[in-house]
Amino acid sequence: MSHGSPLRLRLQRTRPTILSEGPQERCGYPEAMLEHRLLIVSGKGGVGKSAVSAALGILAARRGKRVLVLAMIQPSGLAAHLGVDSLSYEPTRIRPGLFGVAIDRSHALEEYLGLQLHVPRSLPMRQLSGALNVLADTAPGIREIVTMGKPIFEVLRGEWDLVIADAPPLGQLQSYLSAPQTITGLVPTGAVREQAARLESTLADPATSGLLLVTTPEELAVLETREAIAQIDADRQILITGVVANRVLEPLGVTAHDVGALPDGPARAAGLLHLGLVESQSSWLSSIPNDPRLPFLFGFHTPAEVAARLAEICEAFA
Amino acid sequence: MSRETTTVIVTGAGGVGKTTMSAAVAMRLAGADRRTVVMTVDPARRLADALDLHSLANEPTPVPGVSGLWASTLDASASWEGVVHRYSDPDVAERLLKNNYFRAIADRFPAAQSFAAAETMAMMIESGHWDAIVVDTPPSAGGLDFFLSPSQTAELIGGKLLRWLTGSQLPGRRFLYRFTGRPILKIADAVLGGPLLEDVAEFLLDLRTMYDQLAARAETIKRHQQRATTLVATTADPAPVAEVLRFFEELTDVSIEPAAVILNRALPLDWTPASRQPIRGIPDAELRAVLKANLVRWGGEARRQATSMEGIAGRYGVPLITVPWVAESPTSVDSLGRLLDGVEGLDDLIAKA
Repeated sequence: MSHGSPLRLRLQRTRPTILSEGPQERCGYPEAMLEHRLLIVSGKGGVGKSAVSAALGILAARRGKRVLVLAMIQPSGLAAHLGVDSLSYEPTRIRPGLFGVAIDRSHALEEYLGLQLHVPRSLPMRQLSGALNVLADTAPGIREIVTMGKPIFEVLRGEWDLVIADAPPLGQLQSYLSAPQTITGLVPTGAVREQAARLESTLADPATSGLLLVTTPEELAVLETREAIAQIDADRQILITGVVANRVLEPLGVTAHDVGALPDGPARAAGLLHLGLVESQSSWLSSIPNDPRLPFLFGFHTPAEVAARLAEICEAFA
Repeated sequence: MSRETTTVIVTGAGGVGKTTMSAAVAMRLAGADRRTVVMTVDPARRLADALDLHSLANEPTPVPGVSGLWASTLDASASWEGVVHRYSDPDVAERLLKNNYFRAIADRFPAAQSFAAAETMAMMIESGHWDAIVVDTPPSAGGLDFFLSPSQTAELIGGKLLRWLTGSQLPGRRFLYRFTGRPILKIADAVLGGPLLEDVAEFLLDLRTMYDQLAARAETIKRHQQRATTLVATTADPAPVAEVLRFFEELTDVSIEPAAVILNRALPLDWTPASRQPIRGIPDAELRAVLKANLVRWGGEARRQATSMEGIAGRYGVPLITVPWVAESPTSVDSLGRLLDGVEGLDDLIAKA
């Protein structure tokens, strides 16, 4: 069995965090994110992870990159934001330079055995994959390592300039990021362990991989994001390349006193709601890194419209 | 039990204000002189503070300042330990609880937290302590897992995993030893690196001893769920709306009919026509223009909300209850109590529950 990945040599244990640096060091966003080979996008459920994944994919492809956007779990949200009915295990071309793919469990297991563990084809693959299937549901880390293995395998294949992984929500992200360590603790020797080590080093290499956290300026999302930042900072599994706040309202440019002068009615109520939301949002925004923010999109109906509009907005940041 | 306990299940995708809605509904029930408990899942910190919930505990504690209201926060691990103790032999229970694989399954099986919530709800109903129980469901699969989890759990324990490992027939313990002698397992262990599969098979056989009791329990839990009043909470954002549609599509399989959809963060419908009218009462033209533009944006958003909700209400013939969008979500029992003031249709529904 051969494990001669070039990326294995590039294991760097630099402190993979940017949070202590000011926003100035991070200008070039979103360019800096798109410079990675693998961009993992996560956040609390419902904050717009899939929308941001799709938007960055659209943007990178527009910049001439060959991009694969990959749904690590439930692909329906990502598919909708990419404007297609569904995503399958075979990369599908969505527009020039942009491809979409979903992880399908049985394919992922076979690919993991054959292409990542280099199990000889002479062995009974179906039974092996059946056995692994049971392990994936029972032993900690196996399902996660098979799922994490897919985007990294796509990166190492060298066919893409950028792989964007629409990752599981924050609640589950830790078990995916720490799967390599879990496996090395569980399995003393063998191909599974070696693949886990390869995966760990690819994730930890800041030139290759970055994690983008998406949040909204609300209590639950911000607190969960801050907890995740602290945890990932401590565990040093991957570079956090940015924290994007989504659905941020623009200030109105008028005061509550101005709005209060209006007679009771919709104009007054809408003005006060907007001011109140901006105030609440800004207090939550003040406790996360000052990365560029994506606006609340008024009146947008479909996920595909939302992703296309966010891509235009990101383009304007450059 | 002298009279039937009222059970209200509040379900929906994550991030739509499900826990807040559950607490607010529970306050209404407690306000109607019913001894009420609200079982929350992962409440936001300030809401937890308001309800005086400081740690995971299935045992309810009184909510300060609200007579007749108790609250708890789901402790899924404790619920699972209870399940193992109740539905397996003492020596098997001890082995299972010490086993790392058991912890892994209880932590990672997608429906595990949902099953813990459903079982805890059932225990509360059967305790006879409560006039009303309000259940905030885990967000897994948009809330659908809460209803599917009894069957899924029984199926898992009943040998879905074992069958994958051993083929079509379910082996007894004696079979296992012949079976582990099979070359495929030797190869698998060599490839995977360790005696993993044998350990796993041993564990799965233990797990399977709970099957008969757990399958019967699953049926009881499903009956409790079918008798409850189910409210589906959502916002009008595209992602939760998509979850709600999926939820309704798959719900018929478990014979659950939601009593209402609660639209949280709803905008008044009259903002849309009002945005076409001139702004009055402000002399400054620039200021008028700003406020007009603001009303046009929010009026458009109100129309978008109405369009997406008509889709759900029309398609599934379910009443829609709208809860207005407030700038700061409630973080005290007072503001929770006010949240549902003047909300049409809800009190009637609760009274009937």
